[in-house]
Amino acid sequence: MSLIIQQPGNSVVTDLGRFRGPRFGLPVNGALDQFSARAANILAGNGDNAPLLEVTALDFRMRATTNLLIAVTGAPLRLTVGGRECQQWEPVSVRAGETVALRRIDGGLRAYVAVHGSVQAPVLLGSCAPDTVVGFGLRLREGTELKTLKTVAPIRQPYFDLPLFRLGLTRPEFSSTAMVEVTDGPDVDEFGSTADLLFTTEYTVSARSNHIGLRLGGALPERQSSAEVLSRGVPVGAIEVPSREELLVLHRGRGVTAGYPVLAVVTSRSLDVLAQTRPGHKIRFKKTSVPEATAKHRAALRELETLRSTVGTVFPLLGIGGQPGSQQLAPAAGT
Amino acid sequence: MPATPAPAQPPVEVFESGDAALRVVAFSPDREANWATVHALAGWLDAAGADGVHGAVPTYDSLLVEFDPAITSIRQVRAFVLLGLRQLEFTGTPARAPREFNVPVVYGGEYGPDLERVAEQQQLPVEEIIRLHTTKSYVIRCLGAPAGSPMMDGPDFPFPVPRLKDPRLSVPAGAVSVAGRQAVIAPAVAPGGWCVIGQTPLTVLDATSEPLVPYVPGDTLRFHQIQPEDFSTYAGLKLEAAR
Repeated sequence: MSLIIQQPGNSVVTDLGRFRGPRFGLPVNGALDQFSARAANILAGNGDNAPLLEVTALDFRMRATTNLLIAVTGAPLRLTVGGRECQQWEPVSVRAGETVALRRIDGGLRAYVAVHGSVQAPVLLGSCAPDTVVGFGLRLREGTELKTLKTVAPIRQPYFDLPLFRLGLTRPEFSSTAMVEVTDGPDVDEFGSTADLLFTTEYTVSARSNHIGLRLGGALPERQSSAEVLSRGVPVGAIEVPSREELLVLHRGRGVTAGYPVLAVVTSRSLDVLAQTRPGHKIRFKKTSVPEATAKHRAALRELETLRSTVGTVFPLLGIGGQPGSQQLAPAAGT
Repeated sequence: MPATPAPAQPPVEVFESGDAALRVVAFSPDREANWATVHALAGWLDAAGADGVHGAVPTYDSLLVEFDPAITSIRQVRAFVLLGLRQLEFTGTPARAPREFNVPVVYGGEYGPDLERVAEQQQLPVEEIIRLHTTKSYVIRCLGAPAGSPMMDGPDFPFPVPRLKDPRLSVPAGAVSVAGRQAVIAPAVAPGGWCVIGQTPLTVLDATSEPLVPYVPGDTLRFHQIQPEDFSTYAGLKLEAAR
């Protein structure tokens, strides 16, 4: 039971992150768009933190050697399974021998592919998330064989043109002009009145952005003091001004400690928005408070809980996720 | 557990650091007390293991506490931090016998491309730079980027060491560097702007073991000079505590 990677593009196996890493000096890493990653896993009937594929920017293809159920979320793209056009943000049945292709990732940057029962990946400090600094993780290459753990008999929709599922999750919006919410950073006072530039400037995402941080061009707030800053732990989402050229927004691959003052911090919810911005996209920042940011984060997670309970109702009816044997559901009529 | 008598705790302030982290800062003129307090607090938080608290990253005078805002709240985590501080005020900082690490280093040449530059800048002969670097017993202050680097107060050079104008894109694992008033060993290959004065053949980072690096903040470390021809004798050996 496996998936054979035919065209890897830029893809890895990851999860929600190495939450025990920072105390040992390792970044948390993990899926940059956490909402999409959680949604993919839930739609595939998995726990939120199950290993899944993160496909960044480039076309991707893999072949299933067994019958599977998958779900693809994240950036808008063209999804085909065995040549049939399929829906993102819904469970998709894949038959043994079929090729799953993700093409023309557009509007956003990162897509997530979860497989029912998940895939096997090595684990470090409780997580399979790749860490480029210590050289850990599963980067997919042409011919990589990913072991899958469960098989799901083909499920077919009796009425040909209708999608198999319609579970009704509100999909995030993707736009080339992103609104990113931030709270004041612990060092905002060091920037004096120039801190407001953050909210009156439209920034442009630089091509030098990656999972460690996004570099943004535009008017830069300036630190008013020149006192030495001792290295200290910086949170994911920290906005710093390390040079006179760019604003730096740290993401999940960030070094855990740094010596730059933290001007503002991107909210958990908006970190997902940033994860989907492409070079050249525009970003505007909006100030919010921690209670508001927490409320939005929790509302998004509640939506995912609703989805999970829907999946929990629908899947057993289709024989997915039951005891071995109960998955041998007879193909639906009309095929 | 034996404990040092509780000294007066430095004043501490807690700052919001986004919706999923707090920064705790100890303010006092006594840098040792600040350092001891944030590390003791990190240990307390780790041991207490509150629901939704991912962990704490202590450095010199500050501590970053990361949490899951869906499970707990900034208000609860702040209260938890203050509780920890109050407990530590009573019990003092738990005493833990530091372990010592001995690190063989080949100085200069291809192993330490910046050694001569540092000597020139300090207006000292190269041998004196090596002597100063190998004389001191260093306290590991915190684990830094990349990958759990042991951050130490630097050797007793006359002047702070300026960083490189053009940081290197790749510094090898084992590189022994200085910058400002600090010293470090690189556990993994990474870009770097510090002056590399030598390299240890020992393996510092073991990505298959947990924890990945053998030392913790508070442990001590000494460097000693070896010759280039001895590099391969040590290669592949792991850095281990001498006692």
